[in-house]
Amino acid sequence: MAKKILIADDALFMRVTLKNILEKNGYQVVGEASNGLESLELYQKTKPDLVTMDITMPEMDGITAVRELKKIDPQANIIMCTAMGQKQMVLEAVSAGAKDFIVKPFQPDKVLEAVQKIIGA
Amino acid sequence: MKVQYINPFISAAFQVLEMVLGSKPAKGTLSMRPSIFTSQQCNIITGVTGKVEGQVIYGMSLITADKIASHMLGQPVRTFDQLAASAIAELGNMVTGNAATLLAEAGFPCNITPPTIVRGTNVKMTTLDIPALVVPLCTDFGEIEITVSLQES
Repeated sequence: MAKKILIADDALFMRVTLKNILEKNGYQVVGEASNGLESLELYQKTKPDLVTMDITMPEMDGITAVRELKKIDPQANIIMCTAMGQKQMVLEAVSAGAKDFIVKPFQPDKVLEAVQKIIGA
Repeated sequence: MKVQYINPFISAAFQVLEMVLGSKPAKGTLSMRPSIFTSQQCNIITGVTGKVEGQVIYGMSLITADKIASHMLGQPVRTFDQLAASAIAELGNMVTGNAATLLAEAGFPCNITPPTIVRGTNVKMTTLDIPALVVPLCTDFGEIEITVSLQES
């Protein structure tokens, strides 16, 4: 059975791009959230194996969303996928519970490698 | 408005544009914007907050915006819809985000805000009390102007 992924990014373009990369490689995208708050709702509804999470989003930013997701599910697998790559941001994300951090723009292989490392193919 | 604030945006733009558009842009001459200026036809406005604050605007013609969106989407853009707008906005977001990383490394930790797109002809803009510097970048898809209006907070 295909592993399930939830995408959280306020940019439609990024959600479409990530969905194309993931679905072409055998993953099932079970939800697309346009902000951190929506990601919490969709996480509980879709119970994905992994979440890709942007940082800069309206309503609730990605790092706050990671903290809240970890309260809902301490085992949640979350990869940050963001244009903000400063050290402080990476530290905050990892300490909130993210398992990896990808900086945009990215090559598709980078995303697949990060996803496969956590949940397999 | 210090020149040191614009350099991270030029470096980030080179990096991002080369990766996204497939070729290195060429940098034009840096100049000062007048207090009220006529913007390009398609503008991505990104906000910066933190140790430095203000706006960074990426301006281009509608034709350039269509070409870039088509390239990013991997298919021709027939109408500049939400998806095309989102692609262009994400380009601005990536440059500002990467520039924010460089600003942080230079001792100016900051955050960015989600982008806004303004399209139209003869749109007048003003960055009010924060002077703005502009640098044109020439790409294979047309010119992109980066207007940086930042001050230390």
